[in-house]
Amino acid sequence: MTDALLSLSGVAKSFKEVDALTHVDLEIHSGQVVGLVGGNGAGKTTLLRLMAGVMEPTKGSVLFGKNRVSNMREKLGVVPESTGLYSRLTAWENIRYHSRMYGIDDDVAWSRVSHFAKMLDLTEALSRHTKGFSRGMRQKTALLRALAHGPDILLLDEPTAGLDVTSARTVRKLVTQLRNEGGTVIYSTHHLAEAQQVCDRIVIVHNGEIRADGSPRELLELTGKETLEDAYVYLTSDKARNRGEDSKDESRIASWWRRFLTGKTPTISEVIEDE
Amino acid sequence: MSSSWMFIKTIAKKEVVEFIRDWRTLLALVIIPLLIFPALFIALPLLLQSEAAELDALELDVNWQGDFSEELGIAFNDSNIRITFEDMPQNIDNLSDIGDDLDKIRNQETKAIFRLLENESGWKFSIIYLSTSEASNEARTRMITAISTWESNVVNGTLVEAGLVPEDTLDPVKWDGDYQNADAATKGEQAGLALSLFIPMVIAIWTASSAIQPSIDMTAGERERGTLEALLCLPCSRLELLAGKWLAVASITSAGVALQIGGLLFAITYLASSSVIGLPSVSLVSILLLLGAVVIFAVMVVAFELALAMKAHSVKEAGSLLGPAILFIIFPALFTQVINLDSIESWWFAIPLVNILLAMRELLLDRIIFEHILVWLISSIFYAGLAAWYAAKQFNREDLVASIS
Repeated sequence: MTDALLSLSGVAKSFKEVDALTHVDLEIHSGQVVGLVGGNGAGKTTLLRLMAGVMEPTKGSVLFGKNRVSNMREKLGVVPESTGLYSRLTAWENIRYHSRMYGIDDDVAWSRVSHFAKMLDLTEALSRHTKGFSRGMRQKTALLRALAHGPDILLLDEPTAGLDVTSARTVRKLVTQLRNEGGTVIYSTHHLAEAQQVCDRIVIVHNGEIRADGSPRELLELTGKETLEDAYVYLTSDKARNRGEDSKDESRIASWWRRFLTGKTPTISEVIEDE
Repeated sequence: MSSSWMFIKTIAKKEVVEFIRDWRTLLALVIIPLLIFPALFIALPLLLQSEAAELDALELDVNWQGDFSEELGIAFNDSNIRITFEDMPQNIDNLSDIGDDLDKIRNQETKAIFRLLENESGWKFSIIYLSTSEASNEARTRMITAISTWESNVVNGTLVEAGLVPEDTLDPVKWDGDYQNADAATKGEQAGLALSLFIPMVIAIWTASSAIQPSIDMTAGERERGTLEALLCLPCSRLELLAGKWLAVASITSAGVALQIGGLLFAITYLASSSVIGLPSVSLVSILLLLGAVVIFAVMVVAFELALAMKAHSVKEAGSLLGPAILFIIFPALFTQVINLDSIESWWFAIPLVNILLAMRELLLDRIIFEHILVWLISSIFYAGLAAWYAAKQFNREDLVASIS
């Protein structure tokens, strides 16, 4: 096999007392479509952010080729879950802003964008402000934005979440098209069926660990199950960790004050007693 | 073109374009700054004049109790006061005791009550009025003016009867000539003094307040809308991102301050044409130093506000942080206005915020004192650097990636 395009070795990531990822070893090779599958809070988004170079691991390393990925961000195209479009700019202005930041000429970006825009049926909407865009149109615009500079790897964080059937299908079709053209895509989702449909390789993430990594057929062989759903349930049978309150950014005073002014929620037995 | 400058320029340009596409920005950062001083210095005096003229034209009803003076009665009539005579109440301890007239005056059945008694030593009087009523105050003022004139006539008459010259007796020590000619300061310097009492304050408060909205929009706003994560994935460094956003906020703020100063200069020119205030005479060196002081101040304030806004997790939280923070600008700005600049110690020019405000005051007076300039320049650059460092620290926080959208 060729050298890995992106490699994570011994990666752990903690946020204060919360261990988002404990020990991750992963290699992504050119031309693969890799699905990161896991439930809410499994660590998929943290893993993607580490791969995108916007977070540094607490332990281990994330390399693009032989370099730290944070120094190679121009090689990546990222579509975060929130899409991140500016509503007072048009779709094309949003795309152009990012492509200029990658040092791409507007003409080059436009020709690449118009190619994919036809595929996504978004050509007409490129000159419109994104303010009134549907979730599907926003997602497609974000995809075009991530593709405009011709990245080596495309990182997609739950790209079909909240999309209608047609839009989700169009997005999947685009990913398939990219795979056929030899592109590399990392695709985070919590829909197994979708991963099975789009990805060559599925990485199951649970409680901050990689539980399994292989093609759908390999996962079935590994678990001895007949369906991927059964395999997934088998691999993630331990209870999902309790994330607690998301207060990692809150100061002690702010936290104390919030709790001080929060009433006690009665227990079921107390309510029954009152009745 | 270096890649850093390309990043900074692209970020700043996009931020400005996006910001000015919000029509509310035009109102907050263009129309209001442009009109605030002309409105304050031209429209407000005109409004006050018209209100005063309206009040002057009013005929005011006043009740007269007690003894009558014909001379004073004529003076009241000349002041557009309509008199109704009535008896003095019986149950009062002195003339200022309102007694049974309380309801009459509170209900404004009459604008004021004039009480006058003549005794062996002369006259005693009082005016019962309602201080919260403009008409009542006006009636009182007109009567006091008439009484003063009448009193002068009485005094002069008495002095003449005693064989004395009233002017020499009452005003034996006189100023000779025109007192305005005795001031060695030029009109331009006097104008500089007048302007130094509020221009630094205006610049400080406006810079700080007009930077709040763009600072929040470009930081906490981006986090809340979920656009920051995509931005952080771009191949620029966090420092370049900060610099781009700083340049955008500083440009927007500078435009607001420049428009406000333009409006102010227009108002001053208007006032100068009506001889209310002269045009300040400030040397080129002072103007350049003044601009330098404003730039350093803007660097510091904008960096600090960007840092605070970036520290916040939402627009609401950023507003709660930056709103009260403006007090840290307003209070020093107010206090600095009363500090005596003559023989001021140099250490004053090392206090954050106060130093720049004092520097602006001195420069508007065209006082170029090398030691002071050195102290405020070094200390201000240090504070601006400190603010920029704090902003960089906030922009380097890893949790910024976790957008709230």
